[in-house]
Amino acid sequence: MILVMKKAILGVIALVILIVGQAFSEETAEQKMPLSAVRIIEKSQQAFYYQGDDMKTNVTMELIAKSGGQRTRVMSMLRRNATEGGNQKYFIYFHKPGDVRRMTFMVWKYPGKEDDRWIFVPAVDLIKRIAADDKRSSFVGSDFTYEDISGRDVAADTHSLLRSEKLAGRDFYVIESIPQEPSEYTKRLSWIDKKTLLPLKEEYYDVQNELFRVFTADKIENIKVGEGLDENVFPTVTRRTMKNLKTGHRTEVVYSSVSYNLGLKDKDFSERHMRRPPRSWIR
Amino acid sequence: MLERMTKFSLDRPKTVIGIVLIVTVLFGLQFPRISIDTDPENMLKPDQPDRVFYNRVKKDFGIHDLIVVGIVDKEGIFRPESLERVARVTSQILKIKGVIIEDVVSLTTTDNIKSSGGFLDIHPVMREISLSSKAVDQIRVDIAENPFLHEKIASVDGTAVALYIPIQKKDMSYRIAKLIRAILQRELLPEQTYHLAGLPVAEDTFGHEMFIQMAVVAPLAFMVILILVFLLFRKLAFLLPVGMDAMFAVIWAMGLLIGTGNTVHIMSSMIPVFLMPIAVMDDVHVLSEFFDRYRVLGDKRRALLEGMQPLYRPMLFTSLTSAAGFASLALADIPPVRVFGLFVAFGIMAAWLFSMTMVPAIISLMSEEKLKKILSEEEGRSSILDRVLKPIGRFAFSRARTVLIFALVLVAVGITGVMQIRINDNPVKWFQKGHPIRVADSVMNRLFGGTYMAYLVAEGKEPGSIKRPEVVDYIGRIQTSLEKSQLVGKTSSVADIVKRINLVLHDNDKAFDKVPDSSEAVGQFLFLFQSSGDPNDLDNFVDREARRANIWIQMKGGDNRQMSAVESDLENFIKTNPLPDGITLHWSGPTYINKVWQDLMVFGMLKAILGSFLVVFFLMMIGFRSLTLGLLSMVPLSVSILLSYGLIGWVGKDYDMPIAVCSSLSLGLGIDFAIHFIQRFQVHYAKSGNIDETNRYMFGEPGRAIARNAIVISLGFLPLVASSLTPYVTVGLFFALLMAFSTISTLFILPAALRIVGPRILNGGKS
Repeated sequence: MILVMKKAILGVIALVILIVGQAFSEETAEQKMPLSAVRIIEKSQQAFYYQGDDMKTNVTMELIAKSGGQRTRVMSMLRRNATEGGNQKYFIYFHKPGDVRRMTFMVWKYPGKEDDRWIFVPAVDLIKRIAADDKRSSFVGSDFTYEDISGRDVAADTHSLLRSEKLAGRDFYVIESIPQEPSEYTKRLSWIDKKTLLPLKEEYYDVQNELFRVFTADKIENIKVGEGLDENVFPTVTRRTMKNLKTGHRTEVVYSSVSYNLGLKDKDFSERHMRRPPRSWIR
Repeated sequence: MLERMTKFSLDRPKTVIGIVLIVTVLFGLQFPRISIDTDPENMLKPDQPDRVFYNRVKKDFGIHDLIVVGIVDKEGIFRPESLERVARVTSQILKIKGVIIEDVVSLTTTDNIKSSGGFLDIHPVMREISLSSKAVDQIRVDIAENPFLHEKIASVDGTAVALYIPIQKKDMSYRIAKLIRAILQRELLPEQTYHLAGLPVAEDTFGHEMFIQMAVVAPLAFMVILILVFLLFRKLAFLLPVGMDAMFAVIWAMGLLIGTGNTVHIMSSMIPVFLMPIAVMDDVHVLSEFFDRYRVLGDKRRALLEGMQPLYRPMLFTSLTSAAGFASLALADIPPVRVFGLFVAFGIMAAWLFSMTMVPAIISLMSEEKLKKILSEEEGRSSILDRVLKPIGRFAFSRARTVLIFALVLVAVGITGVMQIRINDNPVKWFQKGHPIRVADSVMNRLFGGTYMAYLVAEGKEPGSIKRPEVVDYIGRIQTSLEKSQLVGKTSSVADIVKRINLVLHDNDKAFDKVPDSSEAVGQFLFLFQSSGDPNDLDNFVDREARRANIWIQMKGGDNRQMSAVESDLENFIKTNPLPDGITLHWSGPTYINKVWQDLMVFGMLKAILGSFLVVFFLMMIGFRSLTLGLLSMVPLSVSILLSYGLIGWVGKDYDMPIAVCSSLSLGLGIDFAIHFIQRFQVHYAKSGNIDETNRYMFGEPGRAIARNAIVISLGFLPLVASSLTPYVTVGLFFALLMAFSTISTLFILPAALRIVGPRILNGGKS
């Protein structure tokens, strides 16, 4: 796999798309021909969820109640993209809260079907496979869903480009996405930064047609990847918030020590590593 | 002073009527600002400890008020076509604004965690809308096997499912319930029926029916009063002043109540109906006297001034005592009761003012010919009242001792009855039997785990206390113990979650259907639970720091006595099973809160009734300038109160909110007859000096006036019986009874007593 011109394939039932990772070439592409809404979402997902071959980060989640009460989750998260089909493997190791230390999650993500999930419960020394089709359910009790963490199947929604908008000196695509199948939201509006293609804001409307969740990307850092000629920069959202307007609950997430292209192996995402993760993974 | 007021009204009748009208319009203008309040929680002051605690529980555990929908299918709910309808209904209900989507508990929205084929299987109980009959059987098995769902989302007998629909605010429940009904009517199969239960529905429906009651029952009472006045006096001319007085008193009282920013609660909605019969009492006296004099004098002004002369004092005192009786409700610690008492008191004094001013002014404007005509029509009619009253007077007087001994016996009977009084209430029972809400209540509580919620909160000293295995286990044992009672349908807690996760993690090995023995395991199980479904599910049972846990107790009945019984079950359990270190338990929840305010109400009312007894007694002593007469005037009313409440005890009717309220009213009103009787007796005896002759006089015109007033006031409350809300019915019946007792005891006991003590305490023949 070549790093500068990186190939990633978003397997979305019939879609296999080649994406050019360089900002420069994207801009020229857009100047030539306006992008369709689906393409924008695909590229945005690529930039947001599929950057690099793999990735490792420490994640701090603050779950903040309306009353101000706060819960903290600290975890190490690793992700590896499969070579095709948009499949990914995730590994999550919990550091905090204290009584769940050493618990691990493993997710093998398939955009078009039910994910494979495992959980390791150290107190009873058991690894259990989980069968759950609800990707919209909460991720570890936060306001983020599993899909918000790992991305939603592009083909699950019908996308349309509403307009272009300039906000705070940046240019945005405003895309409306309507789920094909009944979902917990009926409409999503995304503000996608034309330059980085990252979604900087998302609004979710519920079945009562009321705005109930708002996502914001609060901080973007350019993470350096590779050396010399291979050097590249991945704009990465390192601070994000999901707010539930109906409950007043919100979750703030900070990514720290983000690194890409560590050379993770597919077989590393195994039950063995769930019990005993390599020290370098959980540092 | 009072006479000068009346004189002024006669000199400037139009000015007086004009002023009254303007003020009335001003009060009337407040009406559009009306706001209705049906929340029983408001029976407690905002800073009442149980209420404060309940609010914290609601906030910390993310608890909302629930509408419970039951769908019953007589051919069995576990059929593909039947469940399909349920699923369709559920998805439409989610679209109603105000429904808290993520917290709805139902077949399609609630996850079941089970172990299947080595997997930890987390899916909604019902995943697809169209199902095979095999899938339907699986759903039935899944529900039966999960203690969290069993008896909660489906009935044990397989005929019904329930949807639990949390709503953002209680006052939305009427609107939401209406929309839910429309969906159900549209979507359900012919063999499917539905029921709506839950306290918010009961409360909000009550509020709406209250409006209707006010619009129907109050005017009905008004009509009845006017008809009664007409039947008793046969004078159409009476109706105008009497009607205006009653109506204006209501407008003044309600206008002030609304204008001062008070909400109209169940109590204050009864103000019009209470006020109208009381308001007309003075007018009845004024008009009786006026016509008596007018017949002789033929001069309106003189007839009014002379007729009112002997009435100023008794009218002032009867109004003051009635007002004091109601105002004494301000001693109760229950805000809506205070508001009710104070504003009825205000209305009574307003009505008294009208009787002094507006009523004479109206009469003075009537044409002489009309009045003369009324007089001529009246000639020659003998009164039925006379035929009843005269023998009573003779009997009570000649058999004074027998009457008094009989009264003593009745008092004893009354006291024994009072001792048997059972204090109990339940807001659902505020609806008549057969009301959809009552039906839903009984059906739902028969089929499911119970719709009356109480919460038992376990609290530890430091964060994480709840995760201690012995604490979780103790919570589980509390549940087992409480569930032994017939009153408790179902309980749920963190212990159920922990046990469930332990079981399914170990592939349904029954040996693991228990609390694990380390707090790490408890913590990790809870984390797993939280990570696998809706995080709010856990929040309902454990607070963020795991310092407190909430045990949900679904009761089959919401009576206060039932709540108390469950509380004492818990006390017994604690006696034999000491609490884990540092853990305390507190009750909360709507069913418990209702019990709290009703306890407060009983003692508040007791305080109020004692207070008003003293106030009225004090007023009587001043009024009659005699301790003995003061005491004597209290006798008939004490007897009638004891008798009425004794009857409640004997009959076994629950002493509930409306009955409690009646007690203090009865004091203020029951005394009226005694005041008039003793005052008239005193005055006449002073002139004649002959006790026998005075008694005969008393059972003439004064007796008739008392009896007429008694009829107006007893029957005037009866329209309340037509109400669909039981508190109104209770008040109507009970009050009619109380007034009847009060009249009878006045007419029997006072002559008997005055025959014996009269000559000693009254000055006879001195003027």
